[in-house]
Amino acid sequence: MREALGETTLVVDPPRLVEACTHLRDQEGFSMLVDITPTDYLGWGERGPAGYIGTSSGRDLNAPGSQGYARTPQPKPKRFSMNYHLLAVPGARRVRVQVWLEDGQPVDSVVQIWATADWHEREAWDMMGIPIEGHPNLARILMEDDWEGHPLRKDYPLGGEPVRFSGDE
Amino acid sequence: MALAPERPKIYEGSRIPQHVPTILRVPDELRDSEDVLEINFGPNHPSTHGVLRLVIELHGEHVVGLRAVIGYLHTGFEKNMEHKTWWKAITYSPRIDYLSFQNNELVFVLAAEKLLELEVPRKATWMRMCLAELNRIHSHLVWLATAALELGAISMFWYCFRERDSILDLFEMVTGTRMHTRYYQVGGLAEDIPPGFYPEARKFCSWMPKAVDDYEALVDQNAIWLERTKGIGLLSAEDAVALGQTGPVLRGSGVDWDLRKAEPYLAYDQVEFDVPVYGNGDVWDRYKVHMDEMRESTRIVAQCLDRLEEMEGEPWIADDRKVVLPPREELHTSMESLIHHFKIVTEGYRVPEGEVYVAVESARGELGCYVVSDGGPKPWRVKFRAPSFVALEATATCMSDALVADLIAIVGSLDTVMGEVDR
Amino acid sequence: MALKKRLADHGLQSERVLWQGKGPGVFEQELGDLEQRLMLTTVDKAVAWAQSSSVWPDTFGLACCAIEMMSIVSARYDVARFGAEVFRSSPRQADLLIVSGRVAHKMAAPLRQIYDQMLEPKWVIAMGACASSGGMFNNYTVLQGVDKITPVDIHVPGCPPRPEALVEGIVRLQEKIKAGVPPAYEIRGVAS
Repeated sequence: MREALGETTLVVDPPRLVEACTHLRDQEGFSMLVDITPTDYLGWGERGPAGYIGTSSGRDLNAPGSQGYARTPQPKPKRFSMNYHLLAVPGARRVRVQVWLEDGQPVDSVVQIWATADWHEREAWDMMGIPIEGHPNLARILMEDDWEGHPLRKDYPLGGEPVRFSGDE
Repeated sequence: MALAPERPKIYEGSRIPQHVPTILRVPDELRDSEDVLEINFGPNHPSTHGVLRLVIELHGEHVVGLRAVIGYLHTGFEKNMEHKTWWKAITYSPRIDYLSFQNNELVFVLAAEKLLELEVPRKATWMRMCLAELNRIHSHLVWLATAALELGAISMFWYCFRERDSILDLFEMVTGTRMHTRYYQVGGLAEDIPPGFYPEARKFCSWMPKAVDDYEALVDQNAIWLERTKGIGLLSAEDAVALGQTGPVLRGSGVDWDLRKAEPYLAYDQVEFDVPVYGNGDVWDRYKVHMDEMRESTRIVAQCLDRLEEMEGEPWIADDRKVVLPPREELHTSMESLIHHFKIVTEGYRVPEGEVYVAVESARGELGCYVVSDGGPKPWRVKFRAPSFVALEATATCMSDALVADLIAIVGSLDTVMGEVDR
Repeated sequence: MALKKRLADHGLQSERVLWQGKGPGVFEQELGDLEQRLMLTTVDKAVAWAQSSSVWPDTFGLACCAIEMMSIVSARYDVARFGAEVFRSSPRQADLLIVSGRVAHKMAAPLRQIYDQMLEPKWVIAMGACASSGGMFNNYTVLQGVDKITPVDIHVPGCPPRPEALVEGIVRLQEKIKAGVPPAYEIRGVAS
């Protein structure tokens, strides 16, 4: 359980997710699931282009390129995090339930708890490739049905075309 | 204007389809009969909601099966924003919900400011609130114009767009462009408020309530409108909360929940306004919520104008030079300003590590932005929680036992903007 | 190329025509013997006048540009005075496809289907930066310009273009038609 910037984050193990969410809905009163956000942390904390990040202990005047007050960020436990944002409608309380997953590790569906999770979980599958177990209709939702790959992953290229300039022809 | 707290029961139990909550399945006895026709309410259809595809199964005029297919406007906003600096990423955000565009910028900028723990001067806060409310009126006007157009009240379109043009004139005066005004910066506003804004905005505020009276005079007593909206598309309060609805859909179902009152952001706790809540959960109630919200927003704008006129001459953006560009006059004399300007423009300002979720009450409901920063000049992950995405999930529930003509009324009343849904 | 009349005298007002000093570009190379083709008979001229004065657009609003396209119908920027009296919902009854908004790859197939369902002569206006070239979205999912799948007559820049800009685009299209320039599918190499 973490509190930062006025927000509460509850880190839960994947097998206990459904139990935790049921408890939060029934006992604590978080009646609305606002959002499910998967995040990919591949490449977190690695050195960016030259002069991008300081060392993990902060700015070091003797180490070239360690500009500014930036530091390497805190390392993350696993590659993916699934964040469930919950809201207690009459009481105006919010909490974020966070589950950490490896690539390909499935997470249980919370559709039985909050019906709105249906499309959010489909989007998590479509965009990030997080398999949801127990979802009644896990199909691609934003991309075409036969699309290969999961676009929002960090190892998926941005795509697009190189811009052509008229002077180059 | 808010109803009594106890919510009337709209229907017993829950109408959320059991198998898949967002798909209405044809009942078994009809499935094998020859009478069910599956048609495509295709991505290009005249009700101008954008590119929504509904695959519906019809038994005569009754809609017995419904499935929504989205993704025809998927633009990859989130992936694009990860590749741009924080400054440039703000430009992408208004295109997500292109009807209440400044709300998207607002929520992204608020998220970045929360991570930076930056204090925004009060002039910027009040102006942001003023523009957000003008944007709400703009969005409701376009909603009303198109929803009425689909139901046959065609002349409403011209009335609403007349006021819409006045609002866009105000935006153009302040920000330089009609739509997708990229006016919010992390730290405040991009430019100071021009002096001609206050008299023009006051003229608008005094005219707007009469315009809303005009709209209500056009349809409120119209038998066709009443027939097509009362009792259609019922959604009970429990179902609405289970389906994650917010905004006019939730308030039309009797739940008194508005982020501006419940979790005030900007300066909403310092202005007086009411939140309309209607209890019947049908299309008519959602329409009334929209109309009353337009009136309330005009009230808020008038109060903001009063306060803003007192703040003449105050700074409109924060002073923190690590994040905000220094004023141009300083660049000629101060070396540090030049260096800051250079670093901010080329590399981008750095937002400290962290994750944050900020929500605002956009015209459609709770527009949330979940931002993860790794301490660098680019966002690591940006996710916009779009209220229309969630509103479309309720289509199957609202459509229990409805006709094709009601389908149009219901989808219209859910006030969806496909840019938000598909992101 | 021996010209009997200047292109500007035929009514074409585009910069390419009026700017005499501009070098040969893609437009001139594609048009080739345009001047020969512009020998309109009186009947052709009458038909061209009728076609240009009643261009009926198709309701093909995709994203933000669609809102500005709706506002050209509104009272202030009334486009009905230019002949675009009604926006037809059925492509079979429409002459002009105004692609307003970003085209995702998923939407490209329905877009081409709508274009195919329109009857000749038909024109396409790519409204906005996203329809003309992909706009600010150079990524895996946005088609980089609708002219990859349909031939485009007029590109209207802007994000979104002001309603007046779109009306100017429609007016330029009308000049093109009156001058006798064939619709884009006869000029470009895109299969129609």
